[in-house]
Amino acid sequence: MAELNEIIHQTVRLRIMAVLVTLEPTDEADFTYLRDLLKVTDGNLGAHLRKLEEAGYIAVNKTFVERKPRSFISATPAGRRVFQDHVAALQSILQNK
Amino acid sequence: MNVSPSEAEEALAAIQTAIQKTRHSITHSGAYVTLIATGIVWLVGFTCTQFLQGEILVYIWVGLSILGSALGVFLGTRIGKRIRSPSTAPIARRIGAFWLLLALYAIAVIGIAHPTDGQQVTMLVILFIMLGQLAMSLLFSLSAVWWVLPVTALALIGYLLLPDIFYLWMAVLGGGGMIALGLYIRSRW
Repeated sequence: MAELNEIIHQTVRLRIMAVLVTLEPTDEADFTYLRDLLKVTDGNLGAHLRKLEEAGYIAVNKTFVERKPRSFISATPAGRRVFQDHVAALQSILQNK
Repeated sequence: MNVSPSEAEEALAAIQTAIQKTRHSITHSGAYVTLIATGIVWLVGFTCTQFLQGEILVYIWVGLSILGSALGVFLGTRIGKRIRSPSTAPIARRIGAFWLLLALYAIAVIGIAHPTDGQQVTMLVILFIMLGQLAMSLLFSLSAVWWVLPVTALALIGYLLLPDIFYLWMAVLGGGGMIALGLYIRSRW
């Protein structure tokens, strides 16, 4: 039985996970890509990413591209699984209403 | 954790919107870069072909093709940096091999058919390029198919019905149209 996940259910985190899960499992999204796509501030996005990283749902890869620091984010297998479970749980709520 | 049906509905809608935006950002970014780069090459190249003659046109087209390809690769790489994918390298090699083989097939067809004038050569090259774009669109992004077919239709109309202004027709409607479409896709994204 699919379960709701309290960490993922928050709107911004839900949208972050939706974006990352849409990418190929081996793909990583740039921090600025997520910020622009979700229309959130740097601080807001950073805070939500930290929560997801602490839960083990995303991996943050900090690196340098052309001598500039860049963060690339991807969904972990556990994050993908939890997200799919969360979506299934939401769908079952609608089906049972 | 308790979630009401209306909250669940809102959450699912938010997920759907985020997924759609992501897919659009990936597919449309590639489409508009290709469109603008090809459009610029066509606009300048065909305008020159309409008004100039002789060997200089060969150099113009070769130069423009190199510039267009370089611009496409540069812009594509810049956008690609926003999503890193280790799986794209083998695909990129296959795409490169496909275009190379298609170019060889085009040269073979032109060599066998012996077109009688420049317009026939141009039309054959356009048909091969559009065929390649169609294959790319069908394999990687179905949403891009719709611009390939109208451009092909426009080229055929110009070739069959307006031979006197065929190159100018291709420059303004083909090249200009692709640039306008590329900018439109970019602004919407």
